[in-house]
Amino acid sequence: MKTIELTIDDKPVVVEEGTSVFDAARMSGISIPVLCHAQNERPIGVCRVCTVDCGDKVLQASCVRPAENGMKVFTASDKVKKHRKMVLELLMSDHPSPCARQRVSGDCELETQAAAEGIVTPRFSKRVSPRGQDDSSLVISVDHEACILCDRCIRGCDEIRQNHVLGRRGKGYNAGISFDLNRPMGNSSCVSCGECMVSCPTGALTNKSIIRTVLPGGEPVGVEELKQLPFFQKVSGTFLELNKNAVIKRHFKKGEVICREGDYGSTAFYILEGQVDIFLASMSSKQAVAQEAPSLIEMFSNIFSPKKKPTSGSRTGSIPIDATVDLPLDNPVAQLGAGDIFGEMTCMSLYPRSATVRAKTDCVMLEMLRNVLDVIQRNKTLRAEIEKNYRKRALEDHLRTVPLFASLSPDFIEDLAHQVELVRYSRGEVLTRQGEQARNFFLVRIGFVKMVEDHAGGELVLAYQGKGGYFGEIGLINRGTYAFTVTALDNVEVVRIGVDAFNKMLERFPEIAASLRAVATEREAHNRRHSAAVSAMSLEKFLNQGLMEANSLLVIDLEKCTRCDQCVRACSDAHDGVTRLVREGLRFDKYLVPTSCRHCRDPLCMIGCPVGSIRRRNSLETVIEDWCVGCGLCARNCPFGNITMHELPGTTTQKAAVTKKKATACDLCQDLPEPSCVYACPHDAAKRVDPNDFFKEIIGAGTLKAPALDSGAHGGKR
Amino acid sequence: MLFDDMREIQHRYGYLPADQVQELAKTLDIPLYKINGVAEFYPEFRVTPPAQAVVEVCTDMACHLHGADTLFADLEQRFAKLGKKAVEVHRRSCLGQCDSAPALTLNEVVFRNVSLELAENHIQAKLAGIELPAPVFENQPRELTADPYKGKEKYGALRALVESQNFDGVIATLKEAGLGGMGGAGFPTSIKWDVVKKARGDEKYIVCNADESEPGTIKDRFIMTHLPHLVIEGIIVGALVVGAKKGFLYIRHEYKEQEHILQAEIDECRRIGLLGEGILGSDLNFHLEIFVSPGGYICGEGSAQLEAIEGKRAEPRNKPPNSATVGLWGKPTALNNVETFANVPQILANGVEWFKSQGRDGTAGLKFIGVSGDVIRPGAFEVPMGIPVHEAILGLAGGPVNGRKVKAFSPSGAASGFIPFEKYKDTHLDFKSMRAAGTMLGSGAIVVVDETRCILDMTLNAIIFFRNESCGKCVPCRVGSQKLVDLLVGWTRGKGSQADMQLVADLAETMEQTSICGLGQFVPYPITTAFKHFREEIEAHVLHKNCPAGVCPMKA
Repeated sequence: MKTIELTIDDKPVVVEEGTSVFDAARMSGISIPVLCHAQNERPIGVCRVCTVDCGDKVLQASCVRPAENGMKVFTASDKVKKHRKMVLELLMSDHPSPCARQRVSGDCELETQAAAEGIVTPRFSKRVSPRGQDDSSLVISVDHEACILCDRCIRGCDEIRQNHVLGRRGKGYNAGISFDLNRPMGNSSCVSCGECMVSCPTGALTNKSIIRTVLPGGEPVGVEELKQLPFFQKVSGTFLELNKNAVIKRHFKKGEVICREGDYGSTAFYILEGQVDIFLASMSSKQAVAQEAPSLIEMFSNIFSPKKKPTSGSRTGSIPIDATVDLPLDNPVAQLGAGDIFGEMTCMSLYPRSATVRAKTDCVMLEMLRNVLDVIQRNKTLRAEIEKNYRKRALEDHLRTVPLFASLSPDFIEDLAHQVELVRYSRGEVLTRQGEQARNFFLVRIGFVKMVEDHAGGELVLAYQGKGGYFGEIGLINRGTYAFTVTALDNVEVVRIGVDAFNKMLERFPEIAASLRAVATEREAHNRRHSAAVSAMSLEKFLNQGLMEANSLLVIDLEKCTRCDQCVRACSDAHDGVTRLVREGLRFDKYLVPTSCRHCRDPLCMIGCPVGSIRRRNSLETVIEDWCVGCGLCARNCPFGNITMHELPGTTTQKAAVTKKKATACDLCQDLPEPSCVYACPHDAAKRVDPNDFFKEIIGAGTLKAPALDSGAHGGKR
Repeated sequence: MLFDDMREIQHRYGYLPADQVQELAKTLDIPLYKINGVAEFYPEFRVTPPAQAVVEVCTDMACHLHGADTLFADLEQRFAKLGKKAVEVHRRSCLGQCDSAPALTLNEVVFRNVSLELAENHIQAKLAGIELPAPVFENQPRELTADPYKGKEKYGALRALVESQNFDGVIATLKEAGLGGMGGAGFPTSIKWDVVKKARGDEKYIVCNADESEPGTIKDRFIMTHLPHLVIEGIIVGALVVGAKKGFLYIRHEYKEQEHILQAEIDECRRIGLLGEGILGSDLNFHLEIFVSPGGYICGEGSAQLEAIEGKRAEPRNKPPNSATVGLWGKPTALNNVETFANVPQILANGVEWFKSQGRDGTAGLKFIGVSGDVIRPGAFEVPMGIPVHEAILGLAGGPVNGRKVKAFSPSGAASGFIPFEKYKDTHLDFKSMRAAGTMLGSGAIVVVDETRCILDMTLNAIIFFRNESCGKCVPCRVGSQKLVDLLVGWTRGKGSQADMQLVADLAETMEQTSICGLGQFVPYPITTAFKHFREEIEAHVLHKNCPAGVCPMKA
């Protein structure tokens, strides 16, 4: 990657080629005011507030101006400030100040910036032709008068949510935002996901307080109070207002447990006051070190069970946990204090809590839902801050968790910590590609990766690696190129060690070099055996249907099933006449896996829910809370077609027959002792099983038949 | 093409009914808002059913000078009682008929030199269901110096180039001739083509900008009418030089006759093997098609034009990158004006020496200019580059009627603002001399006003045009142009203060500095020019509530 050298406000800055002047400034700690550029959206340069002097004939919008070598940028010269103020004054002259957002949460971005520039009464006359309001939506109120046409809502609707409802209408001074063919919002195809409202910098799109998120217990926190915290400063007040109960304040007495290791939570915590201890309830459960590549069946079971087999021997090292410190193994307790955040990775990657957190003193916490954390993390500055702390505290300790590195000297580890990177990958991203030049060694810290060998006939999964696993050594030591393609199966975090640091390590620590060579050789041999053995096996294909993701699987024994459909009827009866079970789907051996929520370990459906209503409540089961707004994103995200959108009766508006929808998925009949479908089956054919035990049994008992894969109506992902 | 599909619907229903648009969106698999976005952006499209007679009167510059505002007001008043379902009367931006002002359209047919009586007759006929013959424009063939093929076989320069395939030679020749962009910017064509030629990638485009929409600008219409073969030849030569396989000639939809003339020329070229696969038996390919603009001055801005061809709202792009490297569909694109293309075969066929000998006073080539407004013989003229201003205004166009004196002229339509004739009458009409004199040649659209006119009135008229034509993408242009109009309207009605004048000057500077494209940057130019040359006259309005020419109402 080529680098670019420039100066910003006389400060020398080096950035990668293609970086915008805005980002270059941000990365060197210079903040340029802007309205139309949200950091999570593609910049379009229309508000002209972020204009800077790049030495060109006219000023340039820094968000879209690529940095160039030798450029001298001035972000706050008299000239720049004068024109920036005039642009704000123009906008303020038509702005209904205070707008809805300013009135409710006091954080209209335009009014805030205008006030900072000292604009009290704009010198221009106000707009005469009214642009109007639109109150047709049940959820969002539209005030076109407050719209500054920054297009943030449009990009949110289009690029972030892929809903494609919002666009620009009209032309020139009469331009505005509109829904579909300039329909009232409530009569349009809008799904009320709320993204436009979250994106809006002013009071043009605000919450009508119809939907209410509910995190049980705790006390509500005012938006103003939240906005005092640096963590929440950049979050739209409208969003916080809407999600009033998605952030709650909780008090914990000294000694009280805040969250427990192994719990499936969907919330993160921010410490307002006090200190907490972090510790591991069961040490043995947390060590997972694959010294050699496990067999496929072993690996299979590892994936199905988060509990890893204990490994013997005492080691010094530490355990990666879900917080910004790693726990020293010999004394597995760490402390966090005010201003720290924990639970963030559980919240984002949907893994079980990796440690127990207990109040060391009396504490006050903010607990938040995933959607809030999601929005907070869109601010790159804040995310970088979290990341920086995390790296500082976690990297060095993490290197010690790997038994392989136990012999590294402390000074070398410290040195290494500066040279390695902590990198996150999201589901489906490729970490290494077979045949490409090997440049890195990887240690898996969180999540699972799939190691695949490409064959002419398709790909062959050789192994799965979870926490504590590592790969890349074959390429670095034996081949020069990567031996496998490694893909992230979920949100994965790895420690990446570059080839130079890796070689230096091997040079200085011969015993590590020796054991890595042994591992590499053994893995290659194993893979060759494995390649030959499983080439005819359909299990891999079966795994690829995503069943390994399942936590609870509904299976129907087709030898017992008489197709009487009692299961479907029972499901329908238990859920207001809408069945969540379709007796069709994937077949494996004599079993049918019907289309019904599998309660995946890594539920794709939860990613992106705008209101955090699809979530877990301290167990692995996925539930859809009744504050669902019916946007349909989860149904689109589910690779197995197991979430259906059904119409909610009685929500037809007066203006048009727009019916509100709601997502539904199997809830395992949580209030009943047994799922209705299983209970209703007169032939004992339907069962809810833990796929781990269930398939291990079939495979172990040798009843696996020839490839009997029938991808059915919902073939799953490929 | 989205616009063609929309036109088909509009042709059938007279507008774009929602159910039809929904069908179209489904067929094309595009979001509804995208269709609505362009339907509401372009003046050609309607989202509501039209009246029986839709009258749109141009009230810009030349038409304004020839009583278009009165015509508009009279028509509006006469037909108001029939209701909006019978007759709609609107204002419309410049139709490119400045030499035959005032002009209007009746159900999209252009009428020139319109009197109230003529307009009424045609509207009444429409309402009665009588089809009166559409106006016919006579285009006398003209013997023009610029045509190197008088009596000879056309496309000689192109034939020679296909034979030699010396594409670098073309760039060198254009460089030697010093050909600059005739759209108004004067940017060297050789450099632009060289950048596109050297840009990486096989997919490149060439676009001819025939969207001439600025008040006063009628020269491209003239060239397309009388020298269509030079335009097409220039485009093909350009395509071969830069390596474009596909080109578009972007023409405004009001230029129906010119569209037909050019289409006939393109068809002819296809027939004789100058367009298409294997040009003249070589391995060179080039396809050219006419892209009819759905309207709007902003489409003349290069990057906005490319957006329009892509089927989007014609909103200018942020630059850099320029369209030469990232143009149509992200590919390198050579975009030039009609007159620039027409110059290329002249230079190649007649040679650089001939080209240089055509200009006066050390300037090169011929120039096509339009002279309109308060003159006896308005029209488009072929002149040597570098003739003095008075020769164009008094000589060719005959000066004002009734022996009146010329007060001022605008050398480049709405954008340049009005400058005093006495001061500039001897200035040479070429890029360099005009720039040196503190003004610009631009597109050679000379609009003349005589001594009875008010500069503030004309300035406001120009700025209203820009306000109407702003695309609305960026804040300074969208909001600034309206605020400027508000302030200036106030001045013509006896409101205003010293502070106002400072505010306008400050706003002008911000618009010039922060707008995305040339439109926004030029919106305030007419008023800053007026401040420079006619300060007293402006101050008379603002400070003394007096319009010296007696044109402005000076009351609310």
